[in-house]
Amino acid sequence: MKTLAIKLLAGAALAALFSSGTANAAEPVCGMNNGEKAAGEPILVGGINGNAPPGDFSGGTDGAAAYFKCVNDNGGVNGRPVEYIVENDQWNPELAAQVAAKLIKDDGVVALVGNGSVVSMAVNAKLYEEENIMAMASACAISDCYENANIVSSNQGPLPSGIGSLKYAVEELGTEHAACIGFNIPNNGGWACEWMGKYMASKGKKSTAFLMDPAAVDLNSVYLQALAEGVDTILLMLPAGPALGVLKVAEEQGGRDQFKWVSPTPLYDPSVPAALGDYWDGRLYVNIELAPFDSEGEDNRNWAAVMDKYGQDDDRRDTFSQSGFLSAKFLTEALLEMDPADIDREKVTEAIKSISGKTSDLLCGPYYVGDFDRHMPNHAGRMVVFKGGKFEIVRECYDIDSSYLDDIREQEASLGLTE
Amino acid sequence: MNIYGIFAVSGLAVGSLYALGGIGLVVLRRATGFLNFAYGAIAAAAAMTAWQMLEWGFWGPIAWLSSILTGVVLSASYGRVIAPGLAWRDPAVKAVATLGYALIILGLISFLWDDAARKLVLPTDSVGLTLFNVRITVTRLIAFLSCIAIVVATVLYLDRTRTGLHMRALADRRDHAALIGIPISRVETTAWSISGGIAGFTGLLFGDLVRLDPTVITFMVIPAIAAAVCGRLESLWLTFLGGLGIGVVEAMLTMFKPVAPLRSMTPFIIAALAILWMQRKQKLTFATGA
Amino acid sequence: MAKAFQLLFSRYTLVILACASASMLALPLVLGAIWVKVLTSVTIFAIAAAGTSLVYAQLRLVNLAQVALVGVGGWIMLRLNHGTAFPFEVSLLLSGAGAGLVGMLLAIPAMRMRGLYLALVTLMAAGAFQIIFTAFQFPNGGDGFWGVALQSPGEMRRPLLAPGDEAYLRYTIAVAAICFIIVHLHQETRSGRAWAMIRQSEANAMAAGVDVTVYKVRAFVLAGFLAGIAGGLLAGALKILDSRSFAAGESVLLFAVSVVGGVYGWLGAVIAGLLYRGVPALFNNLGQDADLSLIIFGAALLHAIITAERGLAGQIADAFDGLRRKREETQ
Repeated sequence: MKTLAIKLLAGAALAALFSSGTANAAEPVCGMNNGEKAAGEPILVGGINGNAPPGDFSGGTDGAAAYFKCVNDNGGVNGRPVEYIVENDQWNPELAAQVAAKLIKDDGVVALVGNGSVVSMAVNAKLYEEENIMAMASACAISDCYENANIVSSNQGPLPSGIGSLKYAVEELGTEHAACIGFNIPNNGGWACEWMGKYMASKGKKSTAFLMDPAAVDLNSVYLQALAEGVDTILLMLPAGPALGVLKVAEEQGGRDQFKWVSPTPLYDPSVPAALGDYWDGRLYVNIELAPFDSEGEDNRNWAAVMDKYGQDDDRRDTFSQSGFLSAKFLTEALLEMDPADIDREKVTEAIKSISGKTSDLLCGPYYVGDFDRHMPNHAGRMVVFKGGKFEIVRECYDIDSSYLDDIREQEASLGLTE
Repeated sequence: MNIYGIFAVSGLAVGSLYALGGIGLVVLRRATGFLNFAYGAIAAAAAMTAWQMLEWGFWGPIAWLSSILTGVVLSASYGRVIAPGLAWRDPAVKAVATLGYALIILGLISFLWDDAARKLVLPTDSVGLTLFNVRITVTRLIAFLSCIAIVVATVLYLDRTRTGLHMRALADRRDHAALIGIPISRVETTAWSISGGIAGFTGLLFGDLVRLDPTVITFMVIPAIAAAVCGRLESLWLTFLGGLGIGVVEAMLTMFKPVAPLRSMTPFIIAALAILWMQRKQKLTFATGA
Repeated sequence: MAKAFQLLFSRYTLVILACASASMLALPLVLGAIWVKVLTSVTIFAIAAAGTSLVYAQLRLVNLAQVALVGVGGWIMLRLNHGTAFPFEVSLLLSGAGAGLVGMLLAIPAMRMRGLYLALVTLMAAGAFQIIFTAFQFPNGGDGFWGVALQSPGEMRRPLLAPGDEAYLRYTIAVAAICFIIVHLHQETRSGRAWAMIRQSEANAMAAGVDVTVYKVRAFVLAGFLAGIAGGLLAGALKILDSRSFAAGESVLLFAVSVVGGVYGWLGAVIAGLLYRGVPALFNNLGQDADLSLIIFGAALLHAIITAERGLAGQIADAFDGLRRKREETQ
């Protein structure tokens, strides 16, 4: 993140991605948008990310931080600035518990926003419930994130995004038997691949899960396993790094033509096109959870503008960043409707739970929270294909079919968001 | 399609990397008594350097050479600056000290390069031949053949050259070697450099063939140690065979579903069995040092 | 009997008890929620470090699998918690016993070898445990032997005496004090003398009628027991466990900080705990890049190994001795 070359590379990749216009984005629009610096008593908001090997999940808090800075320059929340405190749990369960205790008990934050950590969600879900605090997460990847009353995430996570990519594969690529290659982490790969299997079965197709040890060295074996099983499609339910590793093995073995290749969102990242190379041109399909980085929608352009003006140089500008921006925006809108003199945790939790029917061009469906025992507002996405050194949309917004969403659909009906 | 052949060939490739790692460790251990836990971190730094040079647009061979050079420099500086102060300590303490160096290097790497997705590509990746229906790239062949070449070269070096003789003398009795006037410092620095060069080369191949991920490469040192243990931390040929054996068994186990999730245990189990086998004749109640 | 009584109330144990009581009373009152959690972790790993130190100080054997054994203890604690209605203390003792049993298995290679080879055998064991923990994960209330289900984790019960974080810190400190005293009693009695003889020469020890096997095994079992207790307490503190906490590298690191802290007493173990869990938390709290803390940590480790053989605890003791001598000289 600190070397010139990397910055240049990231810059080049971004320039390619934003080639269709967001580079000359307009002035950002945030909160009350009155251009006045907020000077009142700060409202404390926290965020927990996981940034250490094996992954940097800080995009969500980066996006939220930039948005809050912009809000504070534009009248704050009815004059009160948002003081956004970000902690890094470094993928360490003990640190995750420690930083959550600091934010919630010591600092007394009213809500958590932009959270992006695999570890923290599992460790702290109970604490959030006990302390009656809401976490508006942005970079979730495990089941705990979508099965708790006090966590709501604006990103989809592996389950909807994975099913979304399989749906495209079944309907457009003629998939009959898919391999789900994931990490052997029960509430991550195990959870997601099990639901991939259920989806495929519901369509009368086959699916085989290949779960690998995250520390496993030999990606060749997992590829050969899929080869030996006789699948026709490979779904890479992996973070970008290991997914690229499998693709490289496949490239060596001439696997491009042997299988159809699909993946959930992680491979849709500004650093991926450079790492992929020409070999995969037109052969790799990725489901994306939010609007493309270069889309012309109002919120997406605003995200780019906010990141340009208020982001740090080494901020990530990935899906998580869009997602963090979105969570921060929805929280700010909820806070703006409250009496600025009377903002405490209990009231903020209530305000967040009453969020319903919000829309954004970044999302395919409505955003809502509600007083439910689980949340998954974002489950419809788009499909892109890697082509000409960048990603091109091949299917616009579509929802997935999975019995996992039965409860979610009931919620949506009860809030009057669907028929 | 011969499925066994596929997995065996695939396992040989990973096994070559374990073997390369093990050989670098054994070379150093024989001459200096250090078991270098920082070996993986040095390899990671080398791989990242190569990637960075290629990113900057340097000519391929210069980038590859720079990775080997990074290995030499990192390894030799430890050998010159820190190792002498620990020369007379218990081997286990020496080994733990190198862990400190590993932490420093890993910290530096993570500080310099963020966790973006990267890929290291060598031109030899796109050339290959087909054996048992598996395409074997030239890079994998290089990994395998260079293992043999390095073993042969090192054995000849230790047997035929004066520095090699000195290294063997040091390995036997460091204090006696010093007494008869062997230039300990120079001989040891040479050993650190050779080992570092092999580490750099291993890192380059590992980044290409497996994953360009500093943490993964850093902890590759543990299976590499397992390979070295198969060679009693002394025999280059046994280390070579141990590494290959571990790689092949690990790959083959993929086919047996009940144990497939546990196949990464292969290096540890084989190493533990090797140690127990080596100690089999020892019926004494007294423990012996290594 | 009188001798045991005398030992139990020796100056050493009284110091432990005094320090423990003082910290139990004071710490939770003056600390924020985050430091209560940090110190709980510190105390837990001080117990584990006491085990590593014991084996190293008494027998000069390097055990690089201690954190893996902490994982074993944690696994047993979670399994018993979700599978039975045992009170916390019963589960905790069983966690210690289970890990002690695994420690006994590690003692088998120690019968025949020492030095680097033994260290490597334990490292291989740590590597194997890492794979097992990753493959099977930690129980979260599911069915079957492994007790893992695709669900949010079930309730992990804490001791009746200590449901809250502050009370749990006090509880952990009390357990640690008991553990340190147990170690001390071993060192001061027949075991300690036997270990000392074995350390000097196994042949002499045997000639003097010491059963080398029994005493070596005893040291490993005790170290494993301490690791198991630490694991049980850790499970109670976090309520869920993750395989990432018990990687092979962690065991090596714990041995390293034990050496840095000093292996000859409880103070060294506490310093090891502080280095292992306190310093990283401090760095994180100061907003320092985690990568930089790795660098400083590595440098500190090198420095400590090269210059301070008795560890930081030894340096502190020397400083006290120096002060006393100075005072005596001036008098």
